[in-house]
Amino acid sequence: MTFDFGLIERALPLLLMGAAVTVEITAVSVAVGFFIGLFVGIARISQIRVLRILAAIYADCIRGTPLLVQIFLIYFALPMATGQQIEPFAAAVMACGINSGAYISEIFRAGIQSIDPGQMEAGRSLGLTWWQTMVYVILPQAVRNILPPLGNEFIAMLKDSSLVSVIGFEELTRRGQLIIAQTYGSFEIWLTVAALYLMMTLAISRVVGFLERRTK
Amino acid sequence: MSAEYMISVDHVKKSFGKLEVLKDISLHVREGEVVVIIGPSGSGKSTALRCMNGLETVSGGSVTFNGIPVTGESNINEVRREVGMVFQRFNLFPNMSVIRNLMLAPMKVRKISEEEARKRGMALLERVGLADKADARPSQLSGGQQQRVAIARALAMQPKALLFDEPTSALDPEMVHEVLDVMKDLARAGMTMVVVTHEMGFAREVADRVLFIDGGVILEEGSPEDVFSHPREERTKAFLASVL
Repeated sequence: MTFDFGLIERALPLLLMGAAVTVEITAVSVAVGFFIGLFVGIARISQIRVLRILAAIYADCIRGTPLLVQIFLIYFALPMATGQQIEPFAAAVMACGINSGAYISEIFRAGIQSIDPGQMEAGRSLGLTWWQTMVYVILPQAVRNILPPLGNEFIAMLKDSSLVSVIGFEELTRRGQLIIAQTYGSFEIWLTVAALYLMMTLAISRVVGFLERRTK
Repeated sequence: MSAEYMISVDHVKKSFGKLEVLKDISLHVREGEVVVIIGPSGSGKSTALRCMNGLETVSGGSVTFNGIPVTGESNINEVRREVGMVFQRFNLFPNMSVIRNLMLAPMKVRKISEEEARKRGMALLERVGLADKADARPSQLSGGQQQRVAIARALAMQPKALLFDEPTSALDPEMVHEVLDVMKDLARAGMTMVVVTHEMGFAREVADRVLFIDGGVILEEGSPEDVFSHPREERTKAFLASVL
């Protein structure tokens, strides 16, 4: 077997475009997941029982089923139910965002519960409402604590986003597959794809580490 | 009844699961009065205090503040605007500066302007001798300084009464007096105060009335002179002998 460096050189621009799409879908999905996770996480510790139960059901269902199946459900099964065809990008973001939201809700719940209950009591004793105390006192402290697990979730999502290649969405993994189909350079291309993922995940953990040090 | 007393606690019972912490507690506080609650740990004195601003919901009986029953979300919020609380562990907000700790509730609850809140906050820090710490973080202050800030924070809402839950128990001994001095100033200025404490010297000097709680009931009640010098109950005598 010969290792064809020329192939890597020729494929790299296409793969880098794929990597950019991977970053894009990850960023959008985690942003969606952040907002879902914030509200579901708060719902999980809310005083209102129905909210707590609904939030727990969501988190359990999503975390208890494979992301790949969730992608199929949204891309193939949902259009059959609604009669509306769905774009691969929208399906990918929806599946990844909803998935990520479940994990991030757990991160928020744990982050909020790690804050001394005395903080809520102090806020309430001053006449602030539960919600005001949550927004101005509890969440700013919780967000600082959850930065590391949030960074891990971003890295996990970046890797898991490769699954959306199955619905033909052209992110990094799908680009690799397409190039291999034309060139048969499995070894070179998969190695390059892996290296690109590694560089991205390492870069993210560096950024998270920097943010963590800055907020200390 | 409602006009006569600012805080009325009537036949209050409180249980945590099977544990009955308060068994029929009644106490009444007039405007301007300083009431000190003493008693062994686990006697229910902190729980009794926490019932007065709705931090604990009572299992029986009633609590009213200026005639407003301390039950239900909107009533409780109304009462909490008027009754400040100072905690054993200070509970300052570590995510904001000292002055922001004082400004938050007046701005969000009383809806006063940022400028006005800052002005009032600075005046209060001046009063507790910490104006130079306005921009510091709570974590940069000593325990005694943090508790003085916590008192100033409670005062920032211009409360009609203040509740103190063992305000000096978490402090190093050399910092106790600076907090007690602030509390004595408040008492002299006519603030209505209910203080749960182990500081018998403070109780003797400042209290209008002293209550001894043990086993979830008020065993003894009277002037500091009555309770400290002429206790009637054996348990009061035993407790005082162990702490004095």
